[in-house]
Amino acid sequence: MVAVTFIAVDGRETRIEATTGLSLMENAVAGGIAAIEAVCGGNAYCGTCRVYVVSEWRSVTGNITEIEEPMIEASGDDDPGVRLSCQIVVTPELDGLVVRTPASQG
Amino acid sequence: MTTTAQAAAPACPAHSGRDDRKSARIAEANLKPADGARIIRSFAASREILRSTRVRQAGASAEVVDLSRPDEISFFFLDGDVHRKRRAAVAGLFAPRTIATRHRAVMDRTMDTIVAKLQERGSAPLDELSWQMAVDVAAEIVGLTNSDSNANLARRVKAVLESSITRKPGFFNGLLFNARMLVHVGRFWKHDLAPAVAARRHQPRDDVITHMVQADYSRKGMIMECLSYGGAGMMTTREFIVMAAWHLFEKQPLRERFLSGSEEDQIAILEEILRLEPVASMLHRRAAEPLAGPAGMALAEGETACVSIREANVDEAITGPCPFEIDPDRAKRMKVAGPYLSFGDGPHRCPGAQVALHETRLFLDRLLRLPGIRLTAEPRVLWNAQIQGYELRGAVVACDPS
Repeated sequence: MVAVTFIAVDGRETRIEATTGLSLMENAVAGGIAAIEAVCGGNAYCGTCRVYVVSEWRSVTGNITEIEEPMIEASGDDDPGVRLSCQIVVTPELDGLVVRTPASQG
Repeated sequence: MTTTAQAAAPACPAHSGRDDRKSARIAEANLKPADGARIIRSFAASREILRSTRVRQAGASAEVVDLSRPDEISFFFLDGDVHRKRRAAVAGLFAPRTIATRHRAVMDRTMDTIVAKLQERGSAPLDELSWQMAVDVAAEIVGLTNSDSNANLARRVKAVLESSITRKPGFFNGLLFNARMLVHVGRFWKHDLAPAVAARRHQPRDDVITHMVQADYSRKGMIMECLSYGGAGMMTTREFIVMAAWHLFEKQPLRERFLSGSEEDQIAILEEILRLEPVASMLHRRAAEPLAGPAGMALAEGETACVSIREANVDEAITGPCPFEIDPDRAKRMKVAGPYLSFGDGPHRCPGAQVALHETRLFLDRLLRLPGIRLTAEPRVLWNAQIQGYELRGAVVACDPS
């Protein structure tokens, strides 16, 4: 298990024990993180599983991938840490990861 | 971590009791999986197949489509990188933010017209009203906005789609090689698509046709893409709106909850109805290479799987108890995406899923608030062999005159 902390827009922190091999989105949904809507089920077609990776973790999670770009662009979200959580696969290296969630996924 | 399979649902006093499905019987009698296909019934295995990069589109004549000219075939038949790029290029048109900021206006405008027409006439066939909504919204997103009228556009699109019914099963395959189809497709091109293309060359907009013009699609490619995005969206949403309305007219507590609920709750209700009444019932995939997934699903190379959406959506491992009952809180309780597999899953998941849910929500929210609104005739449940899905005809709604 890998510890991941989600920080809501009101500052509330929720820590989940994530399963490696699954996406961060799948872990978030299973862990009850309401801010992750993920209406397309993890196919990078909806942009409703956005998270903001805190700066110290960005080198580990990596940059936005090509598959994420259209929906992030469509969302109008320009946070420097923005990623689609469905495209971040949880690995042991992410133990301790901290991400923030947006006020709205719309 | 809590897994979906472990989540507990409230005890059901009448497990295996109520069955709210209206389309199950006709589906059971008419569904025809592809010859030799292995039927997949569990949710986990179905999702694993649909999400796999090792499978390819199958069924719906996919096996006989010439993939050597991807520019001339619908995105529906493509796989892998070329498919992803085609989808990604227009994905923003279907994003929640785009729906809220742009498509909502079309939905509101169309609903104003529908309400005025209904209040003036006193009653109207429900599928006519839902068809108008589905056509107007799809036309706007695709960019088919230079036709003489949306009513005529709808007739021409319908003619193309219904012509396919006289052919062997399979909508897309052979479209351009069937003489009867050529007439209808020719009319669609002349009266709808060509004017839109000419207009977009002069003044680009943010729609599918503008993208195709800028990407230099061929005429065939444009026709196929428009019919895929537009036609599929029109036909399926038309049916779902009527189905959801039927349930809500029939179930007063559900209707009251719908009318007093937030948009989020309204969507949850619609998704739960759709779970039990998916418009598309089966999806076929062929394994391009051996598949062995973590959920235990295994396919041999070349093997075809028929994902039974109806069965996967009532798999108790993911629904909890009483899978045949409408329970709008189910998905949240089970921590699963609301529509389950009703819009498919994986790379080919329905691009217009959110659009369909939002236009249905808005349509029903406005309709059900009309003074004196009632369902005066229930629909007949028919079967469309072409899309292997139900059709609802004959429903009539009435309201107090304005």
